[in-house]
Amino acid sequence: MSIQNNKKIEEILNSLDGVKRAAAPEFFYTRLKARMEKDLLPAPVRSRILRPAYAFAALVLVLVVNAAVILKNNSGDVVAASEGESIQSLAAEYNLNDVSSLYDLNEDK
Amino acid sequence: MTEQELIQGLRNGDEAAFKYLVDNYKDRIYNTALGVVQNAEDAEDVAQEVFIQVYRSIHSFKGEAKLSTWLYRIATTRALDLLRSRKSKKRFGLIQRLFGEGNEPVYEIPDFNHPGVALDQKENAAKLYKAINQLPDNQRIAFTLHKIEDLSYQEVSEVMKTSLPAIESLMHRAKQNLRKILEKTGP
Repeated sequence: MSIQNNKKIEEILNSLDGVKRAAAPEFFYTRLKARMEKDLLPAPVRSRILRPAYAFAALVLVLVVNAAVILKNNSGDVVAASEGESIQSLAAEYNLNDVSSLYDLNEDK
Repeated sequence: MTEQELIQGLRNGDEAAFKYLVDNYKDRIYNTALGVVQNAEDAEDVAQEVFIQVYRSIHSFKGEAKLSTWLYRIATTRALDLLRSRKSKKRFGLIQRLFGEGNEPVYEIPDFNHPGVALDQKENAAKLYKAINQLPDNQRIAFTLHKIEDLSYQEVSEVMKTSLPAIESLMHRAKQNLRKILEKTGP
């Protein structure tokens, strides 16, 4: 390596000697306060709702409501069927199913 | 205001104490961050993060070190974090380009000129900063704190939580490496 190169490298290595401290930009504190207010305030409700935990809870709730409605409908069919059966037995007891007997009654008049 | 009064004020959530802290340390923190990240906007971002972290975690500050030492430690850690995320973005960009995605050019650090460097030294300082970018993290931090923030080796050792001889050796290796880099790239 030439003496010239060595000298140049030394100059580069010493180029930061006596460097002045850079000052923070103007209104640094104002910008910092604004950022802190944004960062440290509780997150708005909308973003909270969009969190995975809330979204999952909402999904579970929808599924539970759906399952409840399906179960209720199924048991409703059973009730309806048993109600139908009791009406038929009542009709049979009073001979209401026999349409011809109704005609007979009319003929008697 | 003494350091103890300042710390107590910060622990009590006193806004005047926080403003006093920022006004007294913002330049030191900004200058340190600027020396490491070599970009004014990023340095401001890092400096803001430092004060936010101090505000949040002042209760965990045990007072074993000076407040300024703690601040420098946070600043260097944050600055290195930013550099790491910048590097990983660069790597991801290169991978994307390899697979034909992401046609935008990868972000390269432009030549940096520290505002405190004398006009006749700007060109040399830009070359030195480029070489500093290639140093390992600990050498880079030691060199920046000593050369740019003008901290003594003792103060640097406190910030980096290491011994004085370790800092002397770190600085020696940093200078050797810088010399090698400059020889390779040509002065």
